[in-house]
Amino acid sequence: MLALDRVSKTYPNGVQALARFSAEIRQGEIIAIIGGSGCGKSTLLRAIAGLDRASSGTVTLDEEAIASPHAKIGIIFQEPRLLPWLSVADNIGFGLADLPATERRGKVARALERVGLTEKAQAWPRELSGGQAQRVAIARALVPQPEVLLLDEPFSALDAFTRRDLQDHLLDLWADTRPTLILVTHDVDEAVVLADRVLVMRPRPGRLFDQIEINLGRPRDRNSPLFENFKRSVLTSLDRSLDRSVPDRDATQGPGQAMWW
Amino acid sequence: MISDAPVLQQTSDPAEGAAAPSRLSRYGRPLLGLLLPLALALGWEFVVWLGWSNGRLVPPPSRVLATIAELARSGELVRHIAATLWRVGLGFAFGVVAGTLLGAISGYWSLARRLLDPTVQALRAIPSLAWVPLFILWLGIFETSKIALIAVGVFFPVYLGVMGAILSVDRKVVEVGRTFRLSGFAMIRRILLPAVLPAYVVSLRVGLGLGWMFVVAAELIGASEGLGYLLLDGQQLGKPAQILAAIVIFAILGKLTDWLIELAAAPFLRWQDAFGRAKGA
Repeated sequence: MLALDRVSKTYPNGVQALARFSAEIRQGEIIAIIGGSGCGKSTLLRAIAGLDRASSGTVTLDEEAIASPHAKIGIIFQEPRLLPWLSVADNIGFGLADLPATERRGKVARALERVGLTEKAQAWPRELSGGQAQRVAIARALVPQPEVLLLDEPFSALDAFTRRDLQDHLLDLWADTRPTLILVTHDVDEAVVLADRVLVMRPRPGRLFDQIEINLGRPRDRNSPLFENFKRSVLTSLDRSLDRSVPDRDATQGPGQAMWW
Repeated sequence: MISDAPVLQQTSDPAEGAAAPSRLSRYGRPLLGLLLPLALALGWEFVVWLGWSNGRLVPPPSRVLATIAELARSGELVRHIAATLWRVGLGFAFGVVAGTLLGAISGYWSLARRLLDPTVQALRAIPSLAWVPLFILWLGIFETSKIALIAVGVFFPVYLGVMGAILSVDRKVVEVGRTFRLSGFAMIRRILLPAVLPAYVVSLRVGLGLGWMFVVAAELIGASEGLGYLLLDGQQLGKPAQILAAIVIFAILGKLTDWLIELAAAPFLRWQDAFGRAKGA
């Protein structure tokens, strides 16, 4: 279990990015964190990754405090961040340097096959499309089998079709070892497609505003009325988190909506 | 109706023309560069042959080649080339080692940069030839002062290149290293070194160019052998063909050593998505 206990972050310039954020995340759960800009989503993710220290509060994974990058926690950034001087295969194997070469090659080959890029194994990163590069980044993060995988708006730079493909692909990969996924996004559709639970954050200072459980089985039909209802409730919560008036709030919380709230 | 025709022609033109330039670029482009110097050389040869000029101050290519051949036959050429190559090689080696070490320290460690860099930059502002009298006083007129001068010339571009390259390594790539818990030495070997390599190779090539420049200065000051000595000897004895012969050999050696660096670095830089590479140049 990943436990966030009153995690706060104040930058040296005095801006408080995150205020007393607490949450408990079960092993294997998929969490989407959503919120307006400046709500501290990325700050929170970087604190969990151990890339930036929280000013106060603690992040613990299975009773172990996280203050620096941890072997059980992987991260995927908005950009693929592949190392341009390594082939696709070597990029995927980057985190396996401690393993014997044959074992590493086997794992890399399986990962390549799993993300459908076997024929690109020896290609340079510059030869990949945006979607392929992000698939390599996902493989690189998953191949050391982390217990927690953090994703910082991983698909936001991709076109709509590729994004959908990768969302489905991510769920498919997740089913292999069922790591905990924590996904920062500002795409409501993405949050509802992927997450078991959507955490809505409120800006200035960033803090937890609302939680919405998405009680839908998988695979999820993006066009079903239930899916639309969940999207609407996340949107409503998001609007309220930004103190926007919600003119048709009564309409959105009609009878069907209330059932799933 | 009338406007249709030129549009059609325009679209068919590039497709047709595409095959021809690709063949030209593979074989023709290097030869194209040789056209002008060859034409000038042959033209001058012809002018002297016709007797329109006696070619005393500007000897025709045949006389320059004859001088080179003569020097080669007597064994002089090898001796001079060896002396110059030895000086450049040694000066380059010292300059590269010092420039790389200090550049890496100032690039990696900001306290060292604040301590070291202002002094190095101030020294860099001194025209390097101003060191010559001091080096001769300190190190004598022979090899040591020459090699020191060449090393100084090589040092600055390498120092600046290494420091700049380390400072401009993408923070995002370093973060990838951090997420995989690379520390100290592993971070340097697996992230920083490959990231700075392209800029490092460029700084080595610039440094080598300066090394060749400074070996001439060093040999003009006082030497009994070396290509720079051939230049000076040619001037003092009024032998322009010998001066031109030395210049041609400088050009060949400079190009050759530069090409060696490029060749040695090529296997490590295949990944680069450079503009020049994309065009196949």
